[in-house]
Amino acid sequence: MAEQLVVDRLTKTFGGIVALNGVELAFSAGELIGLIGPNGSGKTTLLNIVSGYYTADRGQITYENQPIAGTSPHKLARIGIGRSFQVTKVFRRLTVMENMLVSGLSDWSETRSQASERATAILEDLKLTRLRDERASNLSGGQLKLLEFARIMMLQPKLLLLDEPFGGVHPELKRFMYDCIRKWNAAGITIILISHDMGSIFELCRRVVTLSYGDIICDGTPEETRADKGVLEAYLGEHHASA
Amino acid sequence: MSLLAISEQAINGLIIGSFYALTALGLAVIFGVLRIVNFAHGELYMLGGYAYYLAIASLGIPPLAAILIAVAALFVIGAAIEGLLIRPIHTGKIDRPDEYAIMITFALSVFLLNLANSVFGPWPQRPEPLMRGRVEIGELIISGDRLAAASAAIVMIAIVVFALRYTWAGKAVRAVSQDRQAAEIYGISVQRAGLIAFGTGAALAGLAGALIGPVFNVVPIMGVVPVIKAYIIVVLGGLGSIPGAIIGAIILGQVESFATILIPDPSRALAYKDAYGLIVLVAVLLLRPQGLFGTKDRRA
Amino acid sequence: MSQAALRSIIGAALLVAFVLLPFAGLSDYWTYTVTIGFYYALLAASWSLLVGYVGRISFAQAAMSGLGGYASALGVLEFGLPIGLGLVFAALIAGLVGYVLGWLTLRLHGAYLGLTTIAFGEILRISVTAEHWLTEGSLGLQVPPLIPGGSRLEYYYIFLAITVGCLAAMGLLLRSRIGLFFQSIREDEDGAASLGVAVTTWKCVAFAISSAFAGLAGGLYAHFVQLIAPSMMSLQEMGVILAMAVIGGFHNILYAALGGMLLQVLLEALREVEQWRLVVFGLVTILVLRFAPNGLFGMLSNIFVRRRNSDG
Repeated sequence: MAEQLVVDRLTKTFGGIVALNGVELAFSAGELIGLIGPNGSGKTTLLNIVSGYYTADRGQITYENQPIAGTSPHKLARIGIGRSFQVTKVFRRLTVMENMLVSGLSDWSETRSQASERATAILEDLKLTRLRDERASNLSGGQLKLLEFARIMMLQPKLLLLDEPFGGVHPELKRFMYDCIRKWNAAGITIILISHDMGSIFELCRRVVTLSYGDIICDGTPEETRADKGVLEAYLGEHHASA
Repeated sequence: MSLLAISEQAINGLIIGSFYALTALGLAVIFGVLRIVNFAHGELYMLGGYAYYLAIASLGIPPLAAILIAVAALFVIGAAIEGLLIRPIHTGKIDRPDEYAIMITFALSVFLLNLANSVFGPWPQRPEPLMRGRVEIGELIISGDRLAAASAAIVMIAIVVFALRYTWAGKAVRAVSQDRQAAEIYGISVQRAGLIAFGTGAALAGLAGALIGPVFNVVPIMGVVPVIKAYIIVVLGGLGSIPGAIIGAIILGQVESFATILIPDPSRALAYKDAYGLIVLVAVLLLRPQGLFGTKDRRA
Repeated sequence: MSQAALRSIIGAALLVAFVLLPFAGLSDYWTYTVTIGFYYALLAASWSLLVGYVGRISFAQAAMSGLGGYASALGVLEFGLPIGLGLVFAALIAGLVGYVLGWLTLRLHGAYLGLTTIAFGEILRISVTAEHWLTEGSLGLQVPPLIPGGSRLEYYYIFLAITVGCLAAMGLLLRSRIGLFFQSIREDEDGAASLGVAVTTWKCVAFAISSAFAGLAGGLYAHFVQLIAPSMMSLQEMGVILAMAVIGGFHNILYAALGGMLLQVLLEALREVEQWRLVVFGLVTILVLRFAPNGLFGMLSNIFVRRRNSDG
């Protein structure tokens, strides 16, 4: 299978701190990948570079056989790379429907009625129909997470980058989000999932990439990752691992 | 250009620079702690001038005591402004705090300027200076009022810098300006630091106004131009940076002092005098928004 | 009746009221005052388009208006443009300068943006003052009239028509997808970009559009009062525009426009108390910002909507 996203020797430093140290990765279309690592390991930096928010110091990113390093975020969104944020970036003074329309209408070929028709269907899917005319500032934390999901789906993404989608979400809603992620993945969307919640990652993903201090220290199945001594060390510190 | 002319311009620049520094220092202290640019700073400067003038003209107080009264009065006014208008930003009562902080201080400046126009009238007043006569150093002649005012400014800057470094209140203010949350965890009252900062900032502006009043007259619009200089200086030095404000002021004082005598067409040079600094401000914000000494955070 | 329908009825009623106003025995003096009111309405609305919808603060709006005034006047005087083209030229120049300002300040936010726009506006004002040979400096520039020998009434209707036309154009723009992009940028730039909104472009375009309307307003004003001076570009004047938009309600172009008209009329009506008018306006602006951030008209409409909701 052709690779959808290739990250080639990506390096990024902030001041003297190396956030990414020549990272090389390749993802095939339709994969569901977990990206884990301790705080400061470079997960979000990688995601920010792939989605165009940071520029890498060195290295190339190829998406569907096109180099995309340095492309601005909105263009990447248009060619099918959708992303969520650790802290939701919902438009608080706009209604739920308006939030959805921004995402649909940023594509000039879509009319307002087409966009609102699609938005209605997605909101229905995510059980947000009841809230369509509510201002986003009136939504609960969980509802905001779902709205962020819904807005991204308006982009009809082919690659989805989810940054800590389960932070502060209660278990019932988390189950629902699992179902959504599985469903979208089954529909062919490649998903890269960052989470501190190992349970979620191991339950959802068949491939787990572990970063530590900007290096990939493990790339394998959940079982391989769990058994990997380096991963344990990275999370618990060398002292614990050797004891 | 003769050596005499050069030293004359340099000293003029230094005197002007010391007034600028005083005004800019107040802005920097306020920004450091409260993360807002006080767009009413020029009007606090103007009120300082009037407080000094009134203390002498209507209460018959000697100039030196009048200076202290102006400083105290402006501290109280500044603290009141902080308590009434600025504190709600930090207690989560305001929907869009950034926008509010800018507009409320801008509106405050409209209010205070017109209040002064109504109460004091638009005509200029000339209060008694700290010192009369002039000082001669060789061929160099400096007027006494300017020299006294500049010396007082430099002494006050030194006191503030010292107090920030060594007193408890100063340390609290610095702690809050470095990390608001951490300071709070360590038991520093962020609210009190904010009050002290705005009061001190206002008092510094007021002092500058009181010192300059006798030199350039006291008039309601007297703060309009100096405050723009203060903006330039704090941007040049980095918003919230105290040493940056002082060095920025010295640089601007010299630039303006020499720019006017170095440009061939004198009338045009004079007309554009106030624009040079503004161009510097725009350039610094665009090329190095954190200024020469400031932190990297551009989102104020 | 829906809220939208109610809004259009109120809008239509306002329009009719302004059309009929001169027949209600308006003196020459008050016709003049309300005509100036249209200038401020347009200017305050143009500012609120940028600040209220895109969330980009600018203190250069008065300078943009002045730029438009000088551009149109000099276009007519120096290049012999007909006055209509002079006004187009004013809007174009101000729009272009606005675009450049928007582009230069792309990475700046909050107070930094405020400071840069103050500096930019002041540089424009100082340049206009300094370039005597072209602008007559602070003496003021004589500007040919919009309608030679035109009556107050003719000016009134021309200003009314252009103001209504501009407000309608702004309204249509803001109700289109572009208006939605603007608001998404105000709410969260990164979030907007992640949904495909070309944030950089729209930020510049918003500055350009807002400035172009301000430039047009300034051009009209110049050919009406027939004498303009750099003081129309001052920060004091900017303070008046801010007060108008904030008191009316700067999150809505119509409220901001009504704020402009209201304050201009009050400024004339309260002439006896002189400077105290501006003191009161400053104080009211502070109180509105603190306690009624949607402005007086925003507050009125909220009360109205709430009462209707509780009634039915």
